[in-house]
Amino acid sequence: MLGSRRSYAVFGLVTALSLAATACSSSGASGTGSSTPHSGGHLTFALASDPICVDPQQQGNNDAIYPARQLVDSLTDQDPKTGKIVPWLARSWEVSKDATTFTFHLRGGATFSDGTPVDARAVKDNFDGIVRLGAKSVLGASYLAGYRGTTVVDKNTARVTFKAPNAQFLQATSTFTLGLLARSTTRLPAAKRCTDHIVGSGPFTLVDYTPNKSVEERRRAGYSWGSSLWRKKGPAYLERISFKVVPESGVRTGSLQSGQADAIGGVAPQDEDGLKAAGFTLLSRANPGVPFALTANTARPLTRDARVRQAIQLGVNRKEVVDTVLSRRYQPATSALASTTTAYQNLGDRLAYAPDRARKLLDEAGWKPGPGGIRVKDGQKLSLKVVWATNFGPNQTALELIQQQLKKIGVQITLKSTSIGDYVQVRQKGDYDYAWGNTTRVDPDILRTSFSSKGLNLSRLHDSALDAVLDEQSATADAARRAGYAARAQALVLEKGYQVPVFELTTVVGVSGKVHDLDFEASSRLQFHDTWLS
Amino acid sequence: MSRRAAARFWLRRPGLVLAVAVLVLVLLSAFFPGLFTGRDPLSGVPAERLQPPSLHHPFGTDQLGRDLFSRVVHGSALSLKATSLAVAVGLVAGSALGLLAGYVGGLLDDVLMRIADVLLAIPALLLSLALVTALGFGTVKVAVAVGVTSVASFARIMRAEVLRVREATFVEAARASGSGPLPVLLRHVLPNASGPVLVYAAVEFGTVVLAVSALSFLGYGAEPPAPEWGSLVSGGRDYLATAWWLTTLPGLTIAATVLAAGRVSRALDGETEEISR
Repeated sequence: MLGSRRSYAVFGLVTALSLAATACSSSGASGTGSSTPHSGGHLTFALASDPICVDPQQQGNNDAIYPARQLVDSLTDQDPKTGKIVPWLARSWEVSKDATTFTFHLRGGATFSDGTPVDARAVKDNFDGIVRLGAKSVLGASYLAGYRGTTVVDKNTARVTFKAPNAQFLQATSTFTLGLLARSTTRLPAAKRCTDHIVGSGPFTLVDYTPNKSVEERRRAGYSWGSSLWRKKGPAYLERISFKVVPESGVRTGSLQSGQADAIGGVAPQDEDGLKAAGFTLLSRANPGVPFALTANTARPLTRDARVRQAIQLGVNRKEVVDTVLSRRYQPATSALASTTTAYQNLGDRLAYAPDRARKLLDEAGWKPGPGGIRVKDGQKLSLKVVWATNFGPNQTALELIQQQLKKIGVQITLKSTSIGDYVQVRQKGDYDYAWGNTTRVDPDILRTSFSSKGLNLSRLHDSALDAVLDEQSATADAARRAGYAARAQALVLEKGYQVPVFELTTVVGVSGKVHDLDFEASSRLQFHDTWLS
Repeated sequence: MSRRAAARFWLRRPGLVLAVAVLVLVLLSAFFPGLFTGRDPLSGVPAERLQPPSLHHPFGTDQLGRDLFSRVVHGSALSLKATSLAVAVGLVAGSALGLLAGYVGGLLDDVLMRIADVLLAIPALLLSLALVTALGFGTVKVAVAVGVTSVASFARIMRAEVLRVREATFVEAARASGSGPLPVLLRHVLPNASGPVLVYAAVEFGTVVLAVSALSFLGYGAEPPAPEWGSLVSGGRDYLATAWWLTTLPGLTIAATVLAAGRVSRALDGETEEISR
């Protein structure tokens, strides 16, 4: 029979996957060997998805940042505990009172791995280059919004000026996005600098990136210009790091247990207890920035109505989502910003679960209960399309639960998945009512990135009041006054229902007993410079 | 056929009885899911999530507290719809092409059969994947993508039968008595050439259940939360270490259906002659 051989092949595929689990058993996790830090060793880290591009200036998703962050140094660093900006490549800096001019005094002696110096000229090349990248660098474009130019004052002094005040810029210089790359990289077109030709001054250099497989990095010998926050001076301890792409969360957990990986990203909430019981260490830190949320596309006919958007906000039971889909390490969103973001304002009262008020709002908006429990108006069903990316494991389950919750107030949700690589493009096309996702950043200016009508404006907003507050926030150098504007902006975003925050992302990393001092930086991404293996 | 012969036939084949029973259950659950379960497959009780199989939940519950048995039962409707559609696409298109190629012959036969050769040269699942990527997501599109891959096999079998029947004396007699080519084709050739094709359709049924499940496992099927057998298995992957039933039970359901379809098609392919003798 023609079909029999292939039928067994397919059958094998399906059943093998369902049986694979039982084969996984845990092995000892406790580390042996010396307990003092020492150089050398090869660390294998399992990534949850393909980085797609390991250029730190272009990418913003965690799995690209883990490898990319190690390749570059930034002008400044941010203390994850205090939020204070501290020296890295820049020894010191001055910010003008109106937050339009930033002067950086570089430390001398740092070089890119191709031997060229990290000087004022390099700073100019990089910032000019990021502006040229435009939409290829979503984060960079917002950090450098209103960029007038960089002046090379002398070899080690660079002055960056903006057309309008840009208070968030100093914090932005501590991010991977504004990490410095050599001229041999910045002069290349965006697509050319994704898989190779990425030359930075960081503690590790890129050996090789094979898409969907791995990123290999090697220690930079002679490195001696690390961040002032790092414990170890000079080169990193680790000789090599391999980042392997392992998309299945169960396989990642298994590879940590079997010793094939020393550390894994994206630990699934349901695997946390098992890993802990087997003696592995779980490192976690709440991500600052915009929490996981449904962000409205206000250009669409149904979501144009503020009452519909507010009803959705009241109809989501955040606590149930966290309790059911996530773990104790996560918490429900209490504002338009996550609680670890600078200038976060607790607005938890507005985000309480209130299905009755939601139903009333929908009634007022003319949406009457219809067949199948879904509301209708003028023969149209209240059915909303949500686009989401598959970059965070629990996304689908969380969305299915939200779908179930919203059905109770008569709203139908259809889910449309996309890869993280296509996500921004899908949002730019605009064929959706809500987009599901989060953005990590320490500075509250991330609200301007997300909601200002002057930026990419993926939400298609025309709200001059919100724009004004967001601009004031970015124009004010005084931290306390700036926090006031940021608080107003958070309240406005929720009041208008532009965003339905659901839960705050927590980065959870599983680590075997032989890995020591793997640290989170301020945006909850990993820094491998101080890490050592026993 | 005597009643005793029939009884002996079935008694000697307990496997076949079981296979027929499985298929009947699967078909019933596809058309009347209410017979088996009163629970909603789409909404669950979050507090009752990830419960192992019990009397209350025969297949356990999933990560949102939905009853897995109910999801498998309701999932059979989508999975069988896709399967039937895929088999129909293969059967109808393949038979039509085979009929034409065999009856007309000549250049048309050569062209059609070379196209069939090309189709057969490409691994079926790979071809389905390429097609469904181009067509997009959804149950119907998955069905079409799977169905197209079996067109060539159906055409081959049909053509071979037509070549045999075309030369039969009764066909010549019909032609000699003045019937046009189309009536001859439809009234005399098609009915007498369709046997093996129908048996192949039954064989193909099991294969197609798997192919459809494989594609829905890979995420090409219905959008969540609609249950499909393949997507149920796929959805349980993340819980392999904590909740074995989420992958195992839907997986076993698929396996049972495929094996049952295989057994029944083997019986159709000759065994029943014993009863009619």
